[in-house]
Amino acid sequence: MEEVDKILIHALKQVGTEVSEDTASVKHLTGELIVEAVARCIRVIDPGLGSPLPTSLPPGMSARFRVGTSLAQACQDIGYKGEIGYQTFLYSNEPEIRSLLMFLVEKLPRERAEASDQPTGKSVVLQRAVAAAIKAQLAVPWLPPNCRLPLHAETQSPVALHCFHAQPLSLPHCSKGPGKDPLREVQDYQREILPPVTAQPSHHASVVAYILEQHAAELSAAQEWDNEWNSQGLLSRLTPQEYRSRKLIRLRKRVEEQLHSAALPSAEGDFGPRSTSDLSDLLQAFRGSTPSDHILAKGSNFTHTQKFTFTQQPAAAVTGPSVPAGHQSESDVQLRQQEEQLSLQQQFQHLCSEFEELAADMKHMRVTNAQVLDELKQRELGNSENEEKMQLKKKTIDLLPDADNNLLKLQALVEASANRVVNLASQWEKHRAPLIDEHRRLKEICSNQDLESSRKLSEMKSLHDKIRVSTEEAKRKEEIYKQLVTELENLPQDASRSAYTQRILEIVNNIQKQKEEITKILSDTKELQKEINSLTGKLDRTFAVTDELVFKDAKKDESVRKSYKYLAALHENCNQLIQTIEDTGTILREIRDLEEQAMLMLPSVTSHQ
Amino acid sequence: MSLLAARLTPLYVSENHMTSVFHQQGSRPPVRGHLLYVSISVTLTTHNVQLWFVFPCPEKDVNGDTLWVWCFPSVASDLRKVLLSKCCLTQDARDFHTFVFGQFCRTWYYITTVEVQEPTALNKVTHFSIVVTAKDFNPEKYAALSRILCRMYIKHGSPVKMMEAYVTVLTKGMCQSDENGSFLIKDYDVRKAYLAGSVKDVVSQFGMETIILYTALMLKKRIIVHHPRIEALLEFTRVLPTLTWHRKDWSILHPYVHLSDPELEDLKKCPGYVAGFVDPEVSNRLDLFDVYVNLPDGVITVSQSAKESMAMGKLHKDIGHLIVQSAEDAERSDSQVIKDISVKTKEILANLMALADKCEDSKITLEGLKQHHFPPATENFLFHLAAAEQLLRI
Repeated sequence: MEEVDKILIHALKQVGTEVSEDTASVKHLTGELIVEAVARCIRVIDPGLGSPLPTSLPPGMSARFRVGTSLAQACQDIGYKGEIGYQTFLYSNEPEIRSLLMFLVEKLPRERAEASDQPTGKSVVLQRAVAAAIKAQLAVPWLPPNCRLPLHAETQSPVALHCFHAQPLSLPHCSKGPGKDPLREVQDYQREILPPVTAQPSHHASVVAYILEQHAAELSAAQEWDNEWNSQGLLSRLTPQEYRSRKLIRLRKRVEEQLHSAALPSAEGDFGPRSTSDLSDLLQAFRGSTPSDHILAKGSNFTHTQKFTFTQQPAAAVTGPSVPAGHQSESDVQLRQQEEQLSLQQQFQHLCSEFEELAADMKHMRVTNAQVLDELKQRELGNSENEEKMQLKKKTIDLLPDADNNLLKLQALVEASANRVVNLASQWEKHRAPLIDEHRRLKEICSNQDLESSRKLSEMKSLHDKIRVSTEEAKRKEEIYKQLVTELENLPQDASRSAYTQRILEIVNNIQKQKEEITKILSDTKELQKEINSLTGKLDRTFAVTDELVFKDAKKDESVRKSYKYLAALHENCNQLIQTIEDTGTILREIRDLEEQAMLMLPSVTSHQ
Repeated sequence: MSLLAARLTPLYVSENHMTSVFHQQGSRPPVRGHLLYVSISVTLTTHNVQLWFVFPCPEKDVNGDTLWVWCFPSVASDLRKVLLSKCCLTQDARDFHTFVFGQFCRTWYYITTVEVQEPTALNKVTHFSIVVTAKDFNPEKYAALSRILCRMYIKHGSPVKMMEAYVTVLTKGMCQSDENGSFLIKDYDVRKAYLAGSVKDVVSQFGMETIILYTALMLKKRIIVHHPRIEALLEFTRVLPTLTWHRKDWSILHPYVHLSDPELEDLKKCPGYVAGFVDPEVSNRLDLFDVYVNLPDGVITVSQSAKESMAMGKLHKDIGHLIVQSAEDAERSDSQVIKDISVKTKEILANLMALADKCEDSKITLEGLKQHHFPPATENFLFHLAAAEQLLRI
């Protein structure tokens, strides 16, 4: 009873009824709770039916009556077969309530197992593991430093803290341009030289900071794009690509205008190619005059495309002013081209030399850097050592004035401390040894229990296997049974089974009887044969005796001789008689055999004909 | 007096540092290393010796339990983790190393592992290890000390006796050992520890390539040595700093390192080091070394990034010849070979100093070197050597 109650209360709690912890059985449920529980269950089972039902009993009697009847009606609609009415809720008694609650709880839709719904897969498993680990770490309470156990060392000690210092990471999928593939060189670089994200930060501990920053930036960019798209993009009724390309064109035009307005004043009267310093001035002018338009400050994609258009525009602006002047003569053009070439070559050589200088400088810097670091480290170590020495010397100097006395005192102190240490050590050992024994004992118990449990586990496994095997057997037999049943149904119904069984039984009986008769006959025959044998034997013996007797007397007497002859003839004739009888019998047997054979041959002869 | 008391309490309340004062009887021989002398007859040492035990319960031989038993004073958790990883009792492999030493965070640790054979006062113990940490490099001294402590532990079955012996070593610099005689700290000179390895073996294994090791050490480069057996690794790596005898710096030696983050972080803090790895994977970590020595195969590789600074010329050939000849001479002992090498090194350094003196503020610059028109490899070597010896102008 208690277990049933526990299950009921547990189910009610899951539905949402506020049942307090110490209600252990149904009879402790108050009327209000019962009403609430039933109403909630009905709501879960059938929302349409349950929504108008209140979850609490109103104060007035008539209202209560109404609520009770509506609840009873709802229960009956769901299918409760027992007797139910307003009295069940207003004047409840335990068995009725229990059966009602059991019915409702059984009607509750089964909770689907959570795990079977969620997708499985390595990444999901990993994510779940990460979530579980973080949850566990967050659940550990913060302790002040003196109380910390080793398990807190990783998450709470100051060693675990690092300053948050982030710099941009380079990721291969950043150039999410308008669908074009990145260049082959870029791909090669990304594949072979670009270190992975965890190796890019200079300090291993700041990987988290870098990744968080990058992730936050990407997330905010995506959100801003979403916002923009949802607000302005959808209004324009274009596809995302079209919207982006239109925006790009718009921005490009604006950039062009700005550059033109900045470049035009200096373009007049200057036909030569621009040098790099002019270009940087141009860019500077542009940057200063950029309006603070929030559209321009959107995510990384647009800054990239901005930059790309940037580099193209100055070239366009540069070639722009020089185009109108191209109508000069051919020689002038050639001259100008040569001049351009020369100046470019000079620039290139200048750059090369600068590069070499820089390389040499870098090498020098590296080496001197190493030297300086080395020196620094050595000096730091030297400093700390010197500090220690100084401390010690200071103390010793303080003691110097009264050297001998202090020396004795020091010695005594040292010995006392040594003794104290040893004393403490022995005390600790006394304390430790029983603890170690206890630990060992518990470990032994633990391992024994492990053995036990593994044994039981293997037993259970074998039982499971047996169950499985026997269920399969049972299934198979059932199938066979079904098959046979269908076959039986398919058999012709005219020949009744009982007739067959009757006949079979009769035949069996007949055979039984025949068997009996045969055995009787066999025994008779055996007896006869035995008699014959004994009689024949007797006959032979009698004849032999008689023959002897008579023959003995036959030599002397004539009549005896004649009787002897008659005896012999009698014996002979009787023998012949017996022989004839035997032959008759044999012939009769042969006749019977031949008749049988003829009977057998007859059908084959008729068929042959 | 109270000052002193305050100073001495760290003896048994633990922080990582411990200073102790001990009394030396009679006249003191000149002891080098970490012992200082003050005018009163008290010798001070910053001697940081710590003890641990570890032993497994043999109830299950398959998963033997390894327990920390004792620790004096205390040990920081990261050092504890590192030491556990070094102790062969905690590793899955069955190899058993009697004595292993290494360095972590400028602390030397010496691990002695003992198998308990005959029935002793210790029951249920099959193996145990003693770890001693100190600030100085002296494997022989600490091996002897550990042996005495191990024997004491086996005999008495309780660490208390060990503690007594250890405290006597700390306070008096000596202790009684089981066999007749006693253990005296002053018997174990640090010079002997430095000279304990055999340079001749190194040269006989690598021949002329020893010059690569010499150059790398002189230029304070990062050398990584790999051998699957830890004993061979320890023996080989402890010899290498003898090639730069003028520095007598064994703090660059990290003979036993695993590929774990805290140890590698600690290693990266040193600009130049000699590190020994048992794990063959280290050959893939190009960021960790300039010179890679594969000891079982006898192959020395210089990494791409260091090839330029380690270029070698005639000067190196001469030095290489000198080393090989000196080592091959059967009459000369190891210390004489080291002396020969150090004489040559001093010569080179003297030249360098002379060059430096010619420049202003006695620091060398690249331009100054170029004026002497050395061959490019020699010039390169001298430039980097000046940086290593802190003679370069910044």
